[in-house]
Amino acid sequence: MIGKTMVNRVRAAREHAKLGRRLVLGRTAEEGLLFKLFLYFVFLSITYIYLHPLLKMVVKMLMNARDLMDPTVTWIPTVLYWGNLEVAWNALRYLESASISLSVALLAAGLHVLSCGLAGYALARLEFPFKRTVFALLLVSFIIPPQVIVLPTIMAFQALGLDGSLASLVIPAAFGFGTKGSLFIIIYRQFFLTQPKELEEAAKIDGATAFRFYTKVMFPLAKPAMIVVFLFSFVWTWNDTYLPRMFLAAAEHVPLAVKLSRMDQELEFFVKSAQLPVYLMESIKMAAGFLAILPPLLIYLFTQRYFVESVERTGLVE
Amino acid sequence: MMKARRWKASTVRKLEGTLFILPWAVGFLIFLAFPLVFSLYLSFHNLKVLPGQKIYEYVGLKHYKEILLNSSELYDSLIPFFQESLMMIPIILFFSFLISILLHQPLKGRAIFRMLFFLPVIFSTGYVLTEFVNQGEGSLGFLEQSGAGAVLDGWLGTGAWAGPIRSIIGKFVLVLWFSGVQILIFLAGRQTIGRSAYEAARIDGASGWETFWKITLPAMVPFIMLNLVYTVVDLFTFPFNPIIWLINDNLRSYGYNSAMAWIYFAMIVAFLMLVAALAWLVGRSARKPVYKRRIGA
Repeated sequence: MIGKTMVNRVRAAREHAKLGRRLVLGRTAEEGLLFKLFLYFVFLSITYIYLHPLLKMVVKMLMNARDLMDPTVTWIPTVLYWGNLEVAWNALRYLESASISLSVALLAAGLHVLSCGLAGYALARLEFPFKRTVFALLLVSFIIPPQVIVLPTIMAFQALGLDGSLASLVIPAAFGFGTKGSLFIIIYRQFFLTQPKELEEAAKIDGATAFRFYTKVMFPLAKPAMIVVFLFSFVWTWNDTYLPRMFLAAAEHVPLAVKLSRMDQELEFFVKSAQLPVYLMESIKMAAGFLAILPPLLIYLFTQRYFVESVERTGLVE
Repeated sequence: MMKARRWKASTVRKLEGTLFILPWAVGFLIFLAFPLVFSLYLSFHNLKVLPGQKIYEYVGLKHYKEILLNSSELYDSLIPFFQESLMMIPIILFFSFLISILLHQPLKGRAIFRMLFFLPVIFSTGYVLTEFVNQGEGSLGFLEQSGAGAVLDGWLGTGAWAGPIRSIIGKFVLVLWFSGVQILIFLAGRQTIGRSAYEAARIDGASGWETFWKITLPAMVPFIMLNLVYTVVDLFTFPFNPIIWLINDNLRSYGYNSAMAWIYFAMIVAFLMLVAALAWLVGRSARKPVYKRRIGA
């Protein structure tokens, strides 16, 4: 009798221990608490390393001259100082150049959504002569560094009377070129390839033209691809410093990217002529950088959820 | 009668297709073919800009000879750049692969981490990046604090690879920042692996470790290759790499700069062909996966 209870108790205790172990270690390694804690640890430390420069940037821009000189102040400024932001704001003529950047990026992104959709659909589903060659050329245009063609492009814009005009940043997007246009065409193509063929066959029987079918059915279907292309194009056009600087070297009304590099030169000049200490210049530059990335950052924060889902649904990599 | 009609229908289809691709084709001629041919033409000429006219003087291979044989300018910036790229590419690929595999684990707050790891794509403008490099914000702070940096420095010495390695360590975080799109591609790629393969493996009693090597990794090989190509293109067309400064050197002639651009382009193509050959070799030796997959790009 006693022996039996003992056996039962031992068995129960063993079961209990097993349960506990299962909770901590899991049936397989992926399910255990330990593994989860490990994952959180890895994620948190990588996030810290990853975002460190960004945090430093925000901190640095909010420090006044005394905090910047004081080696004991590393992370938390003694007072929040908005002077650096103010200087950067005025030097950049922020409202004007940001709205120029915004309109250029919005226009380019909108045009990319339309033009790359057409080309992507043609490459995925339609027939036309030299289709393989066109696709090969598309890949070539993806790998050509913009530096190879930038000089003749400037000369071409000069011949067209567009040099120094903001239109030179937008017009290529209407044809599926501009910042990474070929990549957007590939994204659309991948999306349309994953759609069922039956749709087109039904439309063909109904006698609809390809254009009507595209505008009524296929293009509205491609919302995930549109979102991805729009956001990528907006962000990359906004961030692009190279083409605006090449195309708009002497223009007066310029996007943020050009304004930034001009402000840089002015600051360097002040430092060289000893009118401005280096540490203040760094803070002002950080403030300017922060102002430059703020708008795309806000847009991403509001759309990111939708965006990540869309990436998964575009069949980007299938 | 019937036959004529059918022929007509297929012509109509081709016409429609042509109309769809036409804008791109026009753009290709204006924004790519013309500049490309023209810069090739320029690279064999000297351009003299006089008031009201431009004079092109044929000089043959002079610019190419000067760059390749008579000056060390190209090699001085090209060799460290290639060395850095050779190190950066595996780092980026490994990091983004690791992150995407970890992000695939069922975990609370996954969405937040996913958002954070993609952030650099949003704000990595050339300006902000160069500022970070200049102000030393890209380095791993704990290396210097723990004194490991000094030990490493002594160990590196002054060999041919020391400079590039130091430069990579100095901006290590920024190297990781190049991984945003790659993480995204890996994440999407990981989703194409069916659940059934994992369930079958589990029933057979395979551990998570074995499953990773036998199922996940082979199925991800095409995406690793895709990311390899993307990373190479991204690094080499990044407007702040040293070669670009050479190409845009205003003190030189248009012809000289064009020749430089073409040499650089030829090198990128050669590098990509090397990568493609590698991808082909790996693809041939990798076991064919069980399920159907299609790689479009």
